[in-house]
Amino acid sequence: MIKNYLKIAWRNLLRNKGYTLINIGGLCLGMTIVLLIGLWVQDELTFDKNHENYKDISQVLVRKSRNGKKVVRYSLPYPLGSELRLKHAEDFEHIVMSSFHGDNILASEDKVFTRNGGFMEPGVLSMLSLNMIHGDWECLNDPYAVVLSESTSESFFGKANPLGKTIKIGNKIDVLVTGVYKDLPHNSTFKNLEFILPWDLYAIAFSWVKYARDNNVWDNNSYQVFVQTAKGKSLAAVTNNIEKTVFNNLSEDDRPDNPKLLLNPMEDWHLRSGWRDGFKSGGFIQYVWLFGIIGLFVMLLACINFMNLSTAQSEKRAKEVGIRKTIGSSKKQLINQFLVESFLMVSLAFLFAVLIVFLVIPSFNLLADKEIVFPFNNGQFWFISFLFIVITSLLAGSYPALYLSSFRPVSVLKGAFKTGKSTTTFRRVLVVMQFTVSVILIIGTVVVHKQIHYVKSRPMGYDMNGVIMIGKNTEDYEGKYNIMRSELLNSGAVVEMAESSSPLTDVWSTTGGFEWEGKSAGFITNLATISISHDYGKTIGWDLVEGRDFSRDFATDSTAFVLNESAVKYMGLKDPVGKIIRWNNQEHEVIGVVKDILATSPFEPIMQTVYLIKYSNTNWIELKLNPNQSVSSALSTVKNVMAKHAPNVPFDYQFVDDTFAKKFEAIERIGKLSTIFSMLAIFISCLGLFGLASFIAEKRTKEIGIRKVIGASVFDIWELLSKDFIKLVVVAIIIATPLAYYGGINWLNNYTYRTDVSWWVFVIASLGAVGITLITVSFQALKTAFTNPIKSLRTE
Amino acid sequence: MILQLKNLFKWVNSGGNRVFLLNDIDFTVEEGEFISIMGPSGSGKTTLLNVIGMLDDFNEGEYNFLGEPVHNLKEKHRSNLYKEYIGFVFQSYHLIDELTVYENIETPLLYKKHSRSERKAMVADMLDRFNIVGKKDLFPSQLSGGQQQLVGIARALVSSPKLILADEPTGNLNSTQGEEIMQLFKKLNEEGVTIVQVTHSENNAAHGSRTIRLKDGLIVNN
Repeated sequence: MIKNYLKIAWRNLLRNKGYTLINIGGLCLGMTIVLLIGLWVQDELTFDKNHENYKDISQVLVRKSRNGKKVVRYSLPYPLGSELRLKHAEDFEHIVMSSFHGDNILASEDKVFTRNGGFMEPGVLSMLSLNMIHGDWECLNDPYAVVLSESTSESFFGKANPLGKTIKIGNKIDVLVTGVYKDLPHNSTFKNLEFILPWDLYAIAFSWVKYARDNNVWDNNSYQVFVQTAKGKSLAAVTNNIEKTVFNNLSEDDRPDNPKLLLNPMEDWHLRSGWRDGFKSGGFIQYVWLFGIIGLFVMLLACINFMNLSTAQSEKRAKEVGIRKTIGSSKKQLINQFLVESFLMVSLAFLFAVLIVFLVIPSFNLLADKEIVFPFNNGQFWFISFLFIVITSLLAGSYPALYLSSFRPVSVLKGAFKTGKSTTTFRRVLVVMQFTVSVILIIGTVVVHKQIHYVKSRPMGYDMNGVIMIGKNTEDYEGKYNIMRSELLNSGAVVEMAESSSPLTDVWSTTGGFEWEGKSAGFITNLATISISHDYGKTIGWDLVEGRDFSRDFATDSTAFVLNESAVKYMGLKDPVGKIIRWNNQEHEVIGVVKDILATSPFEPIMQTVYLIKYSNTNWIELKLNPNQSVSSALSTVKNVMAKHAPNVPFDYQFVDDTFAKKFEAIERIGKLSTIFSMLAIFISCLGLFGLASFIAEKRTKEIGIRKVIGASVFDIWELLSKDFIKLVVVAIIIATPLAYYGGINWLNNYTYRTDVSWWVFVIASLGAVGITLITVSFQALKTAFTNPIKSLRTE
Repeated sequence: MILQLKNLFKWVNSGGNRVFLLNDIDFTVEEGEFISIMGPSGSGKTTLLNVIGMLDDFNEGEYNFLGEPVHNLKEKHRSNLYKEYIGFVFQSYHLIDELTVYENIETPLLYKKHSRSERKAMVADMLDRFNIVGKKDLFPSQLSGGQQQLVGIARALVSSPKLILADEPTGNLNSTQGEEIMQLFKKLNEEGVTIVQVTHSENNAAHGSRTIRLKDGLIVNN
């Protein structure tokens, strides 16, 4: 019997090629989207879950109150680790102090590379359950050791066993390779961790760390703390136990911001990374939900279309059903036949979808910044897929099956068969639904792009054109500022050179304790403090609003401040130039005010910032390349000069505009994905519309024939058929507009610096939807309108 | 003279053979005539009627309608011509199921861009003339066959055509209803409307002024 069903089904597919193509094509497209979104969601949801103990791992954070607002900070004081070990040992399996990870110069024999890593306590290896290729989890105990990732080890030593080899860190300290771990997967917070140095070495290498260790400094926050809580201890209970640890160790004067520790579980690091007013707020999980819902909708749309098109074909199948019934087929057998047919179609669509996904996965990975591999050898995947096919077949096939099998044979054979009004209403509702989704997606996409455009045209406050930054990852550059600057200027490749403590694209330190005349009592200050060299302003071309730039002509400038406009506003200063600000027990005169410089997130307000001269505290070199020279020749000149002064340092530079552009990667990725998904959803909706149009045109063939005979022109008929659809789309637009408006506003609220949802967005989306509808429907409408009425009337 | 067909041929090719649907038709209709076309099934009656109504085309020959050479006209011009001067009546009425009696009669006027008040007057006139004012808000499915055909004729007449083409107008009706329709046709003819009807019934043909007989696409007597 099944064989007979399949045979009939197959012949039907071949006979109605256009219909088969639309039906399987639409379903296949829907499945492709669902598969891609499914793989993406799976990848997102398994973020960081490769670590065996991920459920117990947390990062210790601190919540502070500032002028009535709460903020969460990631940096903690040095003694916190040993204090937790001393007082709350029973709460933790591991406590791992860590530096903030960053680029370092690693050298071995003739090879020099810049790699990302940091100093961490030895427990990190077993806490993260790193997969050791060489060495074991105990190999970080010696202070002069280093553990490398597999790829780092390979770039130095190839496939050879590197244990016992020497690596020079930061051109300063020799350490021995004692272990190699397998690279972490791409969906892991620590995927960029390329080497780990022992925590004890941190204090040996840096005097300020040693100072913090030796003097038990509780009021300098420069370190991260990771923990693995003991089995069976709840996060809330442990949090409760340790909450006041920092507070209790600070003197009365140092704790006006009431620091309270909290634990941020590893499961939340990636997906729930947003904070608002000191508490969890959103994060990537929003996009997981969003795309998950889009995927579901797309699948639903595809199924609806499948049902729609199948039932639209019903009149062609009616005769077959009638004959089958008269020769003895039961209703159940007919239902089975149509379900087998639907299963065949769905399976074919799935096969093609798998093929397409397999082919587009590389481009999809590029677009979504993923390294997803198609899970060919994953039994679970195929099992879920099979269930998915069966459910889709039932979902998409049951209505046509029930509908077709319920025809009464006599009326069908007499040719008096007519489809009822209710099926048309049902279809109309489905089309409205599809277009509602499509219009929402169009509006969403336009809003995302509008926001990107708006933020990209935000004023920078300086000229980043031709400015490069070089990280000072080594002490080799120390004390050479003046000589390097004069040589670089003389070479003609560089117009100006400067140094600073923070890169141009970030703020690395903020401090408090500022006092000035007129400051209200109890106001806790917090300003970005950026140490710079005298030539910073000229190098980046900042915009002085008042006063003057730093100058070597004034010896007093060593204690002077330049503020940005936000700082002036923040402090409430009138006529700021000449004002005295007390900070660190010293008086600082404000000599100038500059326009706000956009350094941190372009979606957030610009931080109140104070600039001061301090050559001893700089981490970055900024160079303004000579615009009259080609970039490549200027860069090679710079490289030569730098190499002369720091011969063992790789020349790693970045263009400021490139680095800044990276801040848009996430939102642009969302923009691209939403564009693609909207286009596909619209396409699928068009298929549905096309199906409905052909159904209605077929149903109204007789009427249209009559109308033509009594004088209707082609245009009249086109108008008659299209008008109905425009009505449906208008209804969809009316439903979609408030939903999209609400969603858009909600999304934009993630950004402090944001555009609005303008009226023209809705106009564009509406015109787009109406235009697409007309194009889709016209094809069918015109085909019908041009048909010779004699043909349609003769069939009666 | 309303129309004239000269040496008109229509054929289809079937398996290499040319099958003639209309074979060398010479046929003239004068103003005020009431012509019946008769013949066995498949003799080409309906095809001839459709050619006259310009719903179907032909392969060879001349067709002049009110002095215009139909065989040389473009599609658009042709449809303007029949929209203006020809009304159709069908065996199965072909009323639009979704429209009321009133709206069915009104539709041709819509396509001729008559104003609202004109339409109202013309439709009212028709309803009056056929005595169906009381039924104007009913749908076709609520009417008997004879009443539906009345509406069909009213629709054909509403734009005052010169020529009515009727394809077995009584074919779906019982004899009483059929006789009523024939009386109506006769009355219309006396009022000056030219009518060409296809019929199987000698009785119906007897109402006409002239009968032509077709066999295998040939006119056998005229």
